[in-house]
Amino acid sequence: MERQEIIDSLIEVLRTVRMIDPEKLVSVTEETDFLADLNTPSSQMIAFVAKVEQKFDIEFEDDDIDDLGSKVKDLVDLILKVKARG
Amino acid sequence: MAGYYDKGILVESLCSIHPREILVTYGSKKLLVDKYHWHSPKLGVVASYTPTDYDVEGHFGIFRGVDQIESFVQATSASLSKFLICQKNNCAPEDLKDKFVPSFISIGSVNFMSSLEKGDTFVILGKITFYKFRQMVCDGRIYRCPPGLDLDQYFKDFNEERLSKYDLAPDFKLISDLHEITGREVDFEYFKKKK
Repeated sequence: MERQEIIDSLIEVLRTVRMIDPEKLVSVTEETDFLADLNTPSSQMIAFVAKVEQKFDIEFEDDDIDDLGSKVKDLVDLILKVKARG
Repeated sequence: MAGYYDKGILVESLCSIHPREILVTYGSKKLLVDKYHWHSPKLGVVASYTPTDYDVEGHFGIFRGVDQIESFVQATSASLSKFLICQKNNCAPEDLKDKFVPSFISIGSVNFMSSLEKGDTFVILGKITFYKFRQMVCDGRIYRCPPGLDLDQYFKDFNEERLSKYDLAPDFKLISDLHEITGREVDFEYFKKKK
């Protein structure tokens, strides 16, 4: 799966998260910060990551989420890592 | 296996322990749960508390709404998620004391219908609506109990259906209705970094 393909899917999930301004999703890149740029509340961040699991049919560990950075590229890296570990 | 071992004793339900045994990071004067009366690990909990002189000091004998919310979060997300974490990691609450910090994340909405005074025993009925990555969201209600009622006996045969309907006798008085009360057991190292 290509990185841009993953980002496009992440944007689809982000559209379902309340309190994220849809207009900000137009310019999402790997460097976009979920917290600083999209103002995602921390409570919604966990719900968002849970939806990402469903979208990509993967399962994150608690430690994966503890260590996760706040940028889009961090989540893309994690998705690829989890897919690779099967 | 449901539950965890603490000092060699299997804890299968919150009802078999004192709240202090699981809410180990709360100071004695800030512990706002007296007893658990019903518990289903993946569904929710019924717990009670009776406000003391200290709780209402300087506030006209009234137990504040903000303290009701604190009591609710201690009885629900703090207790319930710690139980599940201990179960998952096969360890006791004390073992997690320096690893996770129970943190208030957000409050959806709270509606207050009546008030509580010193000595008014109340019950918290809390339902888990989301649990993932040590973050728990709960909905629930707080009711003032009829004086003198044996709560352990009353909730002995409580079940999921009754919890979902808040099915209590009419002499329980609805005090507050709480939605999307969210707490998380945050990794201690992450917590220190963010501070």
